[in-house]
Amino acid sequence: MSKLMNYLTSSIGRKYLTGITGIGLVLFTIVHLLGNLNLFIGQDSFNLYTYKLESLGPLLEVAEIGLAICFLLHAIVGVSVYLNKKKARPIDYYVYNSAGGNSKQNFSSKSMMVTGSIILIFLVIHVATFKFGPSIEQGYVTNINGVDMRDLYRLVVEKFKQLPIVIVYTIVMILLGTHLRHGFWSAFQSLGLLNKKYRPFVYTLGILVAVMLSIGFLILPIWVYFFVEMGA
Amino acid sequence: MADKNLLQIHGKFVDYTVENANSHMSFLELLDLLNEQLIKKGEEPVEFDNDCREGICGSCSMVINGIPHGPTKESATCQLHMRHYNDGDTIIVEPFRAKGFPIIKDLVVDRSAFDRIIQAGGYNSVNVGSAPDANSILIPKDKADMAFDFAACIGCGACVAACPNSSASLFTAAKISQLSLLPQGHPERYRRVIRMVEQMEKEGFGDCSNHGECEAVCPKGISIDAISIMRREYFKAMLKNV
Amino acid sequence: MNLDSKIPSGRLQDKWDNYKNNIKLVNPNNKRKHAIIVVGTGLAGASASASLAELGYNVKTFTILDSPRRAHSIAAQGGINAAKNYPNDGDSIWRLFYDTIKGGDYRSREANVYRLAQISSNIIDHCVAQGVPFAREYGGLLDNRSFGGAQLSRTFYARGQTGQQLLLGAYSSLMRQVELKKVTLFNRREMLDLIVIDGKARGILTRNLVTGELERHVGDAVLLCTGGYGNVFYLSTNAKNSNATAAWRCHKKGALFANPCYTQIHPTCIPVSGDYQSKLTLMSESLRNDGRVWVPKKPNDKRHPNEIPEDERDYYLERKYPSFGNLVPRDIASRNAKQVCDEGRGVGDTGLAVYLDFADAIKRLGKDVIKARYGNLFDMYERITGENPYEVPMRIYPAVHYTMGGLWVDYELMSTIPGLFVLGEANFSDHGANRLGASALMQGLADGYFIIPYTLGNYIASNTFNKVDTNSDEFKISEENIRREVKKLLSIKGKKTVLDFHRELGHIMWDYVGMSRNKQGLEKAIKDIQSLKEEFWNNVYVPGDDNNLNKYLEFAGRVADFIELGELMAKRCFT
Repeated sequence: MSKLMNYLTSSIGRKYLTGITGIGLVLFTIVHLLGNLNLFIGQDSFNLYTYKLESLGPLLEVAEIGLAICFLLHAIVGVSVYLNKKKARPIDYYVYNSAGGNSKQNFSSKSMMVTGSIILIFLVIHVATFKFGPSIEQGYVTNINGVDMRDLYRLVVEKFKQLPIVIVYTIVMILLGTHLRHGFWSAFQSLGLLNKKYRPFVYTLGILVAVMLSIGFLILPIWVYFFVEMGA
Repeated sequence: MADKNLLQIHGKFVDYTVENANSHMSFLELLDLLNEQLIKKGEEPVEFDNDCREGICGSCSMVINGIPHGPTKESATCQLHMRHYNDGDTIIVEPFRAKGFPIIKDLVVDRSAFDRIIQAGGYNSVNVGSAPDANSILIPKDKADMAFDFAACIGCGACVAACPNSSASLFTAAKISQLSLLPQGHPERYRRVIRMVEQMEKEGFGDCSNHGECEAVCPKGISIDAISIMRREYFKAMLKNV
Repeated sequence: MNLDSKIPSGRLQDKWDNYKNNIKLVNPNNKRKHAIIVVGTGLAGASASASLAELGYNVKTFTILDSPRRAHSIAAQGGINAAKNYPNDGDSIWRLFYDTIKGGDYRSREANVYRLAQISSNIIDHCVAQGVPFAREYGGLLDNRSFGGAQLSRTFYARGQTGQQLLLGAYSSLMRQVELKKVTLFNRREMLDLIVIDGKARGILTRNLVTGELERHVGDAVLLCTGGYGNVFYLSTNAKNSNATAAWRCHKKGALFANPCYTQIHPTCIPVSGDYQSKLTLMSESLRNDGRVWVPKKPNDKRHPNEIPEDERDYYLERKYPSFGNLVPRDIASRNAKQVCDEGRGVGDTGLAVYLDFADAIKRLGKDVIKARYGNLFDMYERITGENPYEVPMRIYPAVHYTMGGLWVDYELMSTIPGLFVLGEANFSDHGANRLGASALMQGLADGYFIIPYTLGNYIASNTFNKVDTNSDEFKISEENIRREVKKLLSIKGKKTVLDFHRELGHIMWDYVGMSRNKQGLEKAIKDIQSLKEEFWNNVYVPGDDNNLNKYLEFAGRVADFIELGELMAKRCFT
């Protein structure tokens, strides 16, 4: 076991961890987005969806713990890479430029630490706001087909009617896209899955995924802010 | 025509003006000229590593305006010619910067870390005299060609110098990939990848974050496919050993 | 002095076997008691270090560069010959032997060359086992090509980087022995003296190029694998650090030089473009297959080449050698180029170049065919000169490329100093007056992998070695001498730089001791070199100190030696 740990904490092992957790997180994000689409259908649809999710019980808990581990591992490894980077070049260049050409270095790849940190902070607030936010007892309740359930729809709409929240949310979602721009293809490369033949495809797919997820998420607050009637 | 170039060399940075530079000169010849002018003025010349001056020995170790080996693709500093610059340009020259490459003097750095990485496993353990006939091992042409692509590494260290994380992954991976593609390298493949990666870490190089800058500056254009192969080899070694 | 080459008895074919069957052997347990010094890490030095360490000797290996992998063997392009006869085109050990002897104008030592041909096949086997990625055919077998005008395809190659791949193979074996602690590697060290004790080579004095420290090393034998001395001409295809100092200082300690004036001059190099030029770049000779060599008929014709009409051009090779045309042998092509330039008909800014014109070939075959054949060479030319050879004729000029001469060695590769062995380009024995293409790599590796393990063993087993320590008088005196010389160099503080002197020496050597030589010229050269030497020791300016990295101090010592070697070369041209 300690041997496995040695391998997994080596420079390459940690790439496996970032890559695998990264792919896991992308998958989760896609599912999350699909869930969010219920908001566009209407209040009941969304609340029913969250209700069903919560009624999964232990299954949900396992998934949540798994997800938390993914996030944590991903973040810890990310930070360690960043710290190593500082150690590995104690004196920085006076001038540094990318050579262009085949380089995959760009704004996204250079800002992984910043975008990642912001997303992590956002995540904490996000979970606190929604998962641990006002419950049935606090009056956020709705009744569908005779069942009382949390009125998360109302919560969402209330939040997204506040301009500062809309702006911050939008920015964070753009940063999520930025993170994925490098993160998506990079995860596959980290797992050693790419070569000259597949790399261009996955690299382009990464841009697509980043843009789709980013837009998919940020369109919601904008839609709510401009088009949803309060208390509908 | 007398080109005039301003050259800055970091230690401290010093401003030098090179008189009578010529657009046909190579970059190293410009430094030669600068040094001749400095010596004649009684000043100390600028030290820089160089040897073959035809892009194969890998001695060049400088960063020119922020890019190792300068702006031209797939070439070493010695193959960079002054016609890529204009009269009066300021050119900023720095040594390769990485903890794994301590600076010796001026633009000269110590790259013996690379030797130690090879020492850890970048070879096939065959003694002289015992090899079978060369044609007894068949190697498909595409495999041999690919192995060559990785074997072409000149060990200059530009990959480390260009990497935002100062990672030596491309260098290490190129050797691992070469030997893993050839059947002769298979008996030691797992031991090799584990040991070379371990040594790479010990030398104080950073992690690879897939920026791909190494491939872009590599004088031999070695692809980050090598790094993919290294990671696959490492995975197999991990499964074997756990 | 009586030179005994110790060639074994018997038929040519049996000599090496006879030798191996009769030598004394060193007990495996005793090998580790012997320290062997290897100077240089090119093909010869790296392979010798590795193979001796594999046998159990304690090897100390020295390189002047920061890593053994950078030695100039790395720049060899073409390939390596071996009498494998894989293509079934009739090759044999005898043919390889015969071609090498004939190519060397019958001036090489037959026994050595025959042994080289015998060993050639083992080299390929070993290198393949090391993982050298030689070119292959689709079926997975090794590919061969014909090289340097050979009528057989016996050359193994790895694209245009065969030297690199072979060196990296040898380097990897060397590093394996470093890991096994059988080789102690000393990088950035320059050998400045050979220590001879009781008539035997027993050590070297080196300068640590980073700290400036002089270091004393003891061994039971010294292997000199320091390459050739083409840089005596200042401009050559050699690397900037290639030098003659180690060999020259051994010569001063009594190792005789043989054929110092045998220099190979390669006809197709990119010409010098100005005084600032620091080195010359070789382009493959294959260019002459399709290019036509010409100069203007009139001297000092400064017109653009494309404006010179056909009837005012002199295709001098085609005119003088109608049956060979542009494919005359290397030495003839080189000499004729010099001749037309001496007549003032040279082209380019310096007048030291001739045209190699592809216009007709492009017209005949199309640009695409030419591109497929020579694309990478054309690119290289354009990168260096900034001219597009598809539009403007290339300019080429001969350049010093290899030195066949070197320290005299016997059949065991031992010099006239017992215990001093000389391997690779540094010795003189295998290439006579002219080296064939693709045989330098073969010789370096044969010496290191397959010859020295036997001959060194015989020397070690046949001699007794008294304990020598680094405090012996010989070391002290040597160090004092070197210290004095360094101090002297730093204290002259004259008006001219080291490179000024090197350039001047190069001009003298190239003009009078280069491609064509005559009595008056050589006499002038000797006089000029002597006065250059005088001036050097009175008017050189060496910057900096001796206690840290100081490239110009290194160069100063080397140029001082080149000047003396140049004089020897000029003098030896008479005999």
